[in-house]
Amino acid sequence: MTAASPPVGTVGLRSEVRRWLPLAGLVVGALALQLLFSGDDAFPARWDSTFESPIDDAGDWLRSNRSTHPVFTAFFSPLSRGIDAIITGISDFLLWVPWFVVIAAAAAIPARVRMYRAAITVAVALAYTGVIGLWTETMQTLGLMSAAVLLAVVIGLPLGILAALKPGFETILRPFLDIMQTVPAFVYFLPLFMLFGIGNVPGAVATLIYALPPVVRLTTLGIRTVPPQAVEASQMYGARRRQTLTKVQLPMAIPSIITGLSQTIMLALGVVVLATLVGASGLGSPVLQSLNQRRTGRGIAAGLAIMAVAMVLDRIWRSAAERDPLKRHPRNVTLVGLGILAVGALLGRVVGAGSFPEVFDWTLFDPVDDVVTWIRDNLRWLTRPLSDSIVTWLYLPARDLLTDTLAWPVVVFVGAWACWRMKGWGLALFTASSLVLVGLFGLWELSIDTLVQVLLASAMALALALPIGIWAGRRPRIEAALGPILDGLQTVPSLVYIIPAVIFFTVGVVPGIMATVLYAMVPGVRITALGIREVATESLEASRTFGATPRQTLLGVRIPLAAPTIMAGVNQVIMMSLAMVIISGLVGGGGLGFETVVVLKRSRFGLGFEVAVALVALAMILDRFTEAAADRLQPHRDTGL
Amino acid sequence: MESAADKTCLEARGIWKVFGSKSDQAVELSRDGASRKEVLEATGCTVGVKDVSMAVTRGETFVVMGLSGSGKSTLVRCLARLTDPTAGSVFLDGEDLTAMDEAALRQVRRQKLSMVFQHFGLFPHRTVIDNAAYGLEIQKMAKAERHERASAVLAEVGLEGYEHHYPGQLSGGMQQRVGLARALTVDPEILFFDEPFSALDPLIRRDMQDQLLDLQHTLQRTIVFITHDFAEAIKLGDRIAIMKDGVFDQVGTASQLITSPATDYVREFTEDVPKIKVLTAGDVMQTQTTSGTRSVPASATVESLLPLLLEGDDPIGVSDADGRTVGVVDRNAVTQILASAR
Repeated sequence: MTAASPPVGTVGLRSEVRRWLPLAGLVVGALALQLLFSGDDAFPARWDSTFESPIDDAGDWLRSNRSTHPVFTAFFSPLSRGIDAIITGISDFLLWVPWFVVIAAAAAIPARVRMYRAAITVAVALAYTGVIGLWTETMQTLGLMSAAVLLAVVIGLPLGILAALKPGFETILRPFLDIMQTVPAFVYFLPLFMLFGIGNVPGAVATLIYALPPVVRLTTLGIRTVPPQAVEASQMYGARRRQTLTKVQLPMAIPSIITGLSQTIMLALGVVVLATLVGASGLGSPVLQSLNQRRTGRGIAAGLAIMAVAMVLDRIWRSAAERDPLKRHPRNVTLVGLGILAVGALLGRVVGAGSFPEVFDWTLFDPVDDVVTWIRDNLRWLTRPLSDSIVTWLYLPARDLLTDTLAWPVVVFVGAWACWRMKGWGLALFTASSLVLVGLFGLWELSIDTLVQVLLASAMALALALPIGIWAGRRPRIEAALGPILDGLQTVPSLVYIIPAVIFFTVGVVPGIMATVLYAMVPGVRITALGIREVATESLEASRTFGATPRQTLLGVRIPLAAPTIMAGVNQVIMMSLAMVIISGLVGGGGLGFETVVVLKRSRFGLGFEVAVALVALAMILDRFTEAAADRLQPHRDTGL
Repeated sequence: MESAADKTCLEARGIWKVFGSKSDQAVELSRDGASRKEVLEATGCTVGVKDVSMAVTRGETFVVMGLSGSGKSTLVRCLARLTDPTAGSVFLDGEDLTAMDEAALRQVRRQKLSMVFQHFGLFPHRTVIDNAAYGLEIQKMAKAERHERASAVLAEVGLEGYEHHYPGQLSGGMQQRVGLARALTVDPEILFFDEPFSALDPLIRRDMQDQLLDLQHTLQRTIVFITHDFAEAIKLGDRIAIMKDGVFDQVGTASQLITSPATDYVREFTEDVPKIKVLTAGDVMQTQTTSGTRSVPASATVESLLPLLLEGDDPIGVSDADGRTVGVVDRNAVTQILASAR
């Protein structure tokens, strides 16, 4: 409904005043705070050690009591051992089985549903990891990955079922899932590392926590979206609740759960690879090593191996999601195939085949370094000015504005004001108090640094993603052509994006921002294209019948109708940027990410706690703010039915 | 000698279904004469079914006809206890369905009830035969036996050879045959049909109606059939209830509805019906026991009398099932029917 024009006179004036009052409040408040506090330096870090030292002490206590105290001997240690047993069990089995049987078995999964191209891709990708000598690491990564996903499913499926059947339980569960999904997985390493020590387990648990919310959500959604008539039909034949669940609801929900999980699997692989920072074995460490040693060729080789694993997981997962039972080979073919694999495994063991033979070794990739160096040197005319201008014109001015020019209360006030306008008092209070807390921790400048990087990278990613998405959304052919590229990019784990960024932009803030832009723009393009494409044809035709030009239709109908979806894309771009900016601390990105690396390397628990709180706060503020923005763009949902 | 009560198979007494949290209050208000809209404004509750009572005789096809929002789907869900009515009781063979606990209800459903759904409600992950055998599977019947029974029923509805297809591979009409087979496999006493044919093309719908009539001819089941299509109601129903705003406007045979509609709302539906195809000689005859030279059974449609009336002037005798003459039809009576169709 459009508001009627306000009556003239005092009432009109009053409503005019009311409209400008919040803005005036912002300007006056900001000015006053700036004048009051401009003398001070950065945030007075009064509580810096208040939290840090007791937690450091607690950390020391943990370390010295890990093998004796009942909390550990009775709970964490057995838990840790159990999880470790699953991980090593899977990876040891994969390493025990002769390599050619592993490859054949992996390829057989897509082949069973007649996806032969996928089968070849899987075989080639796995063989690649063996050829470059990373077979063991690949199997370790697969073991860690499978254990984490397995546990996520084992825990998440019953929770999801319960939430679908008992709405009350879902209401309790939802806020926890929200928070778990907002926090970048990297942050989980900090507390888990304290509880479980170094090794595979904290990595697996972080991945598990990361993958759990989507498993629960998709299960609930899948069961809820089973057509009610199918459930009623089952009831009408006198089925028990359990019979309806196992015979109708779950079988009908599982394909959509599997399909929905594919993206989660890919993102979880990113976490598994990063777990090398907490001492997990697998493909992450060769990448990190080569990044540290500037062995670009080896880094590329290892990065490609991670992408190969991503492709393998993606194809296998997709074939598992195949809904059409007719595409499946008959059962006896499957049994024969299994028999051949088992015989192959035993025969292979008898002749002593296990791990992939050493075909050639790493040094073969070293010439790549020269090529890469040559390319880098010859692109310097482009990368250097680009890098310099990002730093001098965008990054530094923004950071200095927020940390130096403006007094910290002004930043807190403006942030809270924006949250108040967008969402309400709750978010404003949360934002103000968590920003102040972060300041008291002594992390003010680092947090602002991270925030600036996130916003800068998001803005750049959106500047690229929105036009491409709008363009693709209007032209199905272009979207179809872009589709496989975007699919491919979405399966690349975050750490891999760092490699080219480091090659071209060496160290500092810029490679991190560049990697972030690449990483975060993919979902931006995807969701924008989706929003634009899904605008109802009728609305577009209606616009056209009134003689609107394509431009008018785009600006007047298409974009406004797609806006809520696009805004949801903006939310995802920002959240992915945050996750990536933290990781880029590994290559000198500064900010809270670098602090995280320091914490993990030096076991500084107190600092770790503070950094984790700061990151969680940043993530929550950014997420809730953009979510509220998306809600605002939603056309009046309450009118009509 | 059976009394009328013995022949009643399914009976509903004072069924109410109100959606919303203050349902009791809404029932009170509605009982005191408040309209649906007033109840909604006062309590925020929607009255779906308002004090409906009905009795379905064994072997009868009872059609509930109403437009969308009339409450017909809610009513059938109350009868099958897929939702619990806010007030009122449903009796099946004298047993109170609404008072049963889960276990007893499950037992009754396994033995006596079946339902065919508007959007088929098939299980896409099961083959045709596993869909059809679902009710028996729930009763834990051995696989060989239930498949044998299911394939016999599938053959009956014309799906022989499709046993191992999946529902997604079949056309809409064939999918609903699977739905029908699934309902018949458990050999139910009562079949509920919730707008089973409304999602089908008109020609396929007619085929399905004909097939249902054929089946019913041999099976003689008790059927409660929900539809929004008055022509379908007339074609299938032994008795028809016209439902509007949660209540029955009128219950009667097709002829009763056409010859004496109780409300303007009922009349609106009957006006477009080709009366000579629905009304029978029995409906339009003048009672008289003297026989003429020509005679037709009372169940003959008026349409079939037209050639006879054109052949000669004299009235045609009408005889009942036992061959006794019960009345006559003349040109005058038929002309009146034709005239009232305008």
